[in-house]
Amino acid sequence: MVSLQLDHVFKQYGEKTAVNNISLQVEQGEIYGLLGANGAGKTTTMRMVLGLIYPDGGEIRYHGKPYSNELTRVMGYLPEERGLYPKIKVSEQIVYLARLRGMSKQDADKSLRYWLDRFEVPEYYDKRIEELSKGNQQKMGFIAAVVHRPQILILDEAFSGLDPVNVELLKATVKELRDNGTSILFSTHRMEHVEELCRRITILHRSNTVVQGDIKEIKSRYPREEVVLHTVGEVERLESIPGVKSVERNERGYQIKIGTPDTAQLILQHAMAQTAVERFEIKEPTLNQIFIQEVGESNE
Amino acid sequence: MSNNLGTIIGFTFKNKVKTKSFLITTLVLAILITIGMNVPYFIKQFSGGDDGPDRIGLLTGSGQAVASELEKYAAASGNKDYTFVKYEGNAEEPLKQDVKDGKLEGYLKFEEDPADSSFPKVVYAGEGGMGQGLSTYLQGALQNVKTAMIAKDALTAEQIAALNKPVSLDSLDLSEEAKANAGGDTEKERNQKIMNYVTVYFLMILFFSSNMMTGNMIAAEVTAEKSSRIMEILITSVKPLNQMFGKIIGIFLVGLVQIAVFGVVVVANLMLPNNVGMLQEFHLSLTDLNISVLLYGLAFYIVGYFLFAVLYAAVGSIVSRTEELGQAVMPITMLGLAAFYIGIFSISSPGTMLIKVTSFIPFTAPTAMLVRIGMGTVPTWQILISLALLVVSIIVFGWLSAKIYRTGVLMYGKRPSFKELRKAMKAYKI
Repeated sequence: MVSLQLDHVFKQYGEKTAVNNISLQVEQGEIYGLLGANGAGKTTTMRMVLGLIYPDGGEIRYHGKPYSNELTRVMGYLPEERGLYPKIKVSEQIVYLARLRGMSKQDADKSLRYWLDRFEVPEYYDKRIEELSKGNQQKMGFIAAVVHRPQILILDEAFSGLDPVNVELLKATVKELRDNGTSILFSTHRMEHVEELCRRITILHRSNTVVQGDIKEIKSRYPREEVVLHTVGEVERLESIPGVKSVERNERGYQIKIGTPDTAQLILQHAMAQTAVERFEIKEPTLNQIFIQEVGESNE
Repeated sequence: MSNNLGTIIGFTFKNKVKTKSFLITTLVLAILITIGMNVPYFIKQFSGGDDGPDRIGLLTGSGQAVASELEKYAAASGNKDYTFVKYEGNAEEPLKQDVKDGKLEGYLKFEEDPADSSFPKVVYAGEGGMGQGLSTYLQGALQNVKTAMIAKDALTAEQIAALNKPVSLDSLDLSEEAKANAGGDTEKERNQKIMNYVTVYFLMILFFSSNMMTGNMIAAEVTAEKSSRIMEILITSVKPLNQMFGKIIGIFLVGLVQIAVFGVVVVANLMLPNNVGMLQEFHLSLTDLNISVLLYGLAFYIVGYFLFAVLYAAVGSIVSRTEELGQAVMPITMLGLAAFYIGIFSISSPGTMLIKVTSFIPFTAPTAMLVRIGMGTVPTWQILISLALLVVSIIVFGWLSAKIYRTGVLMYGKRPSFKELRKAMKAYKI
């Protein structure tokens, strides 16, 4: 079932096109990745989905219907700049936000306590936001986005600024939400999170869609051009194998760039003829590599 | 959706009242009011009303006759604040010495006046000039003495008293149909007029100050929500119109609480033993309070508040950072000031064209119409038209402000131009 559908959505700010004809579908229980460098149009796209700004062209449908005020109850949003009142207690403001989205006070309070326990920080209930660290403020922002059990969840750079432990915690939570049927639109410029969480992605570059589709399928479209070889002894004359572009030695073995897939087999035979092979892998391109190739710019 | 409004009002109110800045401001103002109300009493205490009357020396010299008459007058008038002490002769030094020693408040010396041979020129000498009270007293005393000396025995004491009695000049407003009966106001009516004056004055100050204070609070809250980006979450949760009015009403209640606190402080201070006499002194009594003036005043106060509040909210939404806010709210502050001063300056002349016109302009009506109701006469239908105009303009400006609000809160960076605002406003529903 399609929860969220963007159809040739277009947005212009003055002369500048912010989002150019983006189309995508998020299904129920799916985490959809929206990728791109800073200023590529991710946040603008999300704001249009939220109804914060209106598209200049195209259409956005939620469960098949256009935007309406009732949607505020089923949507959750974590903005990139966390959006919470610094001087107000966690409990007060999150319960307030949940009530604005149609929850009862008791229900909201119960849900908040559940989430605080889930993140193992029940003591934050009575703390003011400004007393918390950046990472913990972000967790509170996340709770504010999910406290009313939204069906459609918009996460803008949800993991930025978190330490590895909290990234894992949040990742696990996001997966759990997905498994419970929440549709999640997830933006980031960190590729490693996407490969773990998302099935389908859209890469935006300067307002345009440059790559779109299933991650596995996207990867299969790009040739496998890298071989990892770990061996017991030395392997001589790897460079002389036809099709090998470059060889890089590291502590464990070799990283070899190749031109055609057939070359990989030649490398394996060549190595086995000389010594015992511990590891041999024809690596599929990482999203990061694809991204750099497509966007033609370095990405952090 | 409709119960959202209540949620927002409650949240705004609760959190504003709890802030340290609000508690401190309220406390400081309450203390200032208390000090201000007791200052007259303390001044009286310290100015030494208890250690007998101020002694004024008289250097008789060439003004022997005048000095004697002054003493006579002082004895006859029964004034307890000042007393005259005669110093015979022409030597000024002893008087100077006595002033220095604090035995005398000051002294009078009499000099020949070349322009007027009938009465000498009087000079007061003392440390640090003459106070208002002393000046008035001496002026009156010398005038009496002069009259008595010139009239000598040609007039009887009654005739002289009659001469010195000030002329009474009352004004009678002919447009006051009901009071056209000649003979002027009765005592009761005069007192009511004074009470009306006090009521109008008080309501205007209340309107102005609470408008400025709460208005700035509203604008600052909106800007803070915008800069902390919580606005993005709020806008996706609640209709901007509800959000804006929830905030405005919430802060209005905060303002009312503050006014109530001040009211209690004022009443408590009035009940202090040293202040009890003050009201009687001014012949003020709450029974003279004109209920209709008060009710109209409150009605205009409330609608006026909302009209200004929606504008403050709109301005708050356009600005991205709190630092820029002061400059941005300037035009509204000016408008508020204009309304206040038109009211204050017209309070004694409530029939001018200026006040008639401004009493129908929504922004100035809350004060201008109040002056006309309290101090002049105005047909009821004009009051109702003015109120209706205010309500209509609240709806119009409320709608417009909600549009600006919806648009402004998503515009960051530089302040948007009118053109940009207009273009963006077309896009949003409220």
